[in-house]
Amino acid sequence: MKQPLIDNIKIVVLAIVTLFFNACSNDHTLTELDATVFVRHKGADMPAYIKGNASEKIFLITLHGGPGGLGLGFRGNAFKQIEDNYGVVYFDQRGSGMSQGNYSEDDVTIDLMAEDVLALVKVIKRIYGNDSRFFLLGHSWGGALGPATLLKNQSEFLGWINVDGSHSPKDLYFEYIRNFERVAATQIELGNSVPFWESVYDELDMVDANVVTLDDFNRLNNLAFDAEDYLKDDDLINNAENGNVKVSDYNVLTFIWNILKIQSILDDDIIGELTFTDRLSEITIPSLILWGRYDMVVPELYAQEAFDNLGSSEKRLVFFERSGHSPMFTESNLFAEEVLQFMNQNK
Amino acid sequence: MRRRSRLLLLFLFQFALYSYGQNKSKNQTANTQLSEYFWDRTEFKAGFVGTVFWSNGLSIGAEYLWKENEKTKTRKGIVRTNTHQLLFNGNLGFVTNFASKTDTGAYTNFGLIWRRTNKKGKQFSIELNPLGYYRSFLPETYEVNGDSVDKVFLPGRGYYAPSLSVGIGKQRKGKVRSGSYFNINYSPRFNYNAGTLPTFSLQYGFRFNFKNRKQ
Repeated sequence: MKQPLIDNIKIVVLAIVTLFFNACSNDHTLTELDATVFVRHKGADMPAYIKGNASEKIFLITLHGGPGGLGLGFRGNAFKQIEDNYGVVYFDQRGSGMSQGNYSEDDVTIDLMAEDVLALVKVIKRIYGNDSRFFLLGHSWGGALGPATLLKNQSEFLGWINVDGSHSPKDLYFEYIRNFERVAATQIELGNSVPFWESVYDELDMVDANVVTLDDFNRLNNLAFDAEDYLKDDDLINNAENGNVKVSDYNVLTFIWNILKIQSILDDDIIGELTFTDRLSEITIPSLILWGRYDMVVPELYAQEAFDNLGSSEKRLVFFERSGHSPMFTESNLFAEEVLQFMNQNK
Repeated sequence: MRRRSRLLLLFLFQFALYSYGQNKSKNQTANTQLSEYFWDRTEFKAGFVGTVFWSNGLSIGAEYLWKENEKTKTRKGIVRTNTHQLLFNGNLGFVTNFASKTDTGAYTNFGLIWRRTNKKGKQFSIELNPLGYYRSFLPETYEVNGDSVDKVFLPGRGYYAPSLSVGIGKQRKGKVRSGSYFNINYSPRFNYNAGTLPTFSLQYGFRFNFKNRKQ
């Protein structure tokens, strides 16, 4: 009786040890990076997924959307091509994805989240050496966190890549209304999805045109995503390729809880409040602005506004003519080409 | 409106008096005389714990029978006898996400189980563990304080994690593998980020009583 019991205990112990080592191992080979490293900063433990080829010790740090999005949500054909040439750091921001920690709601500020990004830079330097160099890329909400980070310390970065980024959520609500009216009129004239675009006018009648409320903002934000689906159906936006994030990469329940929580904390500070437009002139590093022509979530007006206001002497604005809010998935080859060209020129 | 309320109250009073009162008169409860020996009243358990998609692991534990009684009731002329038990309970588990390295942790919790077993050995359990602790294990972690960056030894975080499980099972009376269980578990983690993280998991495994002679 005793021997089988001891054997079973051995198997259980061995399984636990194997699981433990699997959970802790990392590959830091510069040409084939595949590491998950946590950054502990001011009460939060935030995972950075470091992948790609960093033989030149050049890293592209990515800032996801949301707030509350997924660091690995960028992965797909475009970022595969970037990973073949440079190290890419996918980062779950404070209160997002699989980030964990223990802090109060008062501790969650955009200022602190920007400091988290600079803490990530320090950690990468600690692992791969002080000669590591960085580019910063932000998508959507990451387009607000990016300027917040750069305004604290842009000397750490060789360049800034803004992908459909929301550098001014303060006035985004009113631009939603103007943009919906503009696009609806054009699409009805073209005879595209007329019932939907007519219903957009009804939706606009239901929101307050003078005062921003969170409910109205969310209504228009959701409508923007719906509108992009109709633009896709009418063949104005390419079908999005599947991303590379696997269902097993994130605990979906944790992700959902995190996104609801972080948005409930930050929304009041962002929607109708936050703007970096007047301070973009202080950002002087080379900048690349990439935008989907049919972006309904952060309309194209912000692309031009970012381009006009950035203080960089070297800056470039590129519109993706068959894309909406996420050109990395709808025109992935062109997207990768633009990013790689920018990094090659400014490294 | 007032008249309706009075009628409703009258109906509820009569319902309580005649329906519940009638059942009660047909119920019988008898406390079971339990063995004095600790090992006779102790079962061990081992099994799978996790969410299948995101985290999978192993759980081991022990249950000590505290109180037991047999309830006999007659319903529609049929006599039914169920055994009700109260057990002290302790668990130790380890779970991980093989794909991501970001969801690894160990937990332990202690509390009480209420279990009903029918004559066929089918069981229904409610397990409440108010004393619970979850410790996450993180991969390589660096702590940043100002300009200093230090590698953290055995990185992870501890959370208060009580749990509540509801499940079914099957008893194998008198055998070493004395039963099996399938539970759905809810365990909140306090304080997780800026709030309380609700977590859910499945538990499936077997119970063992090594004092039982039959295999």
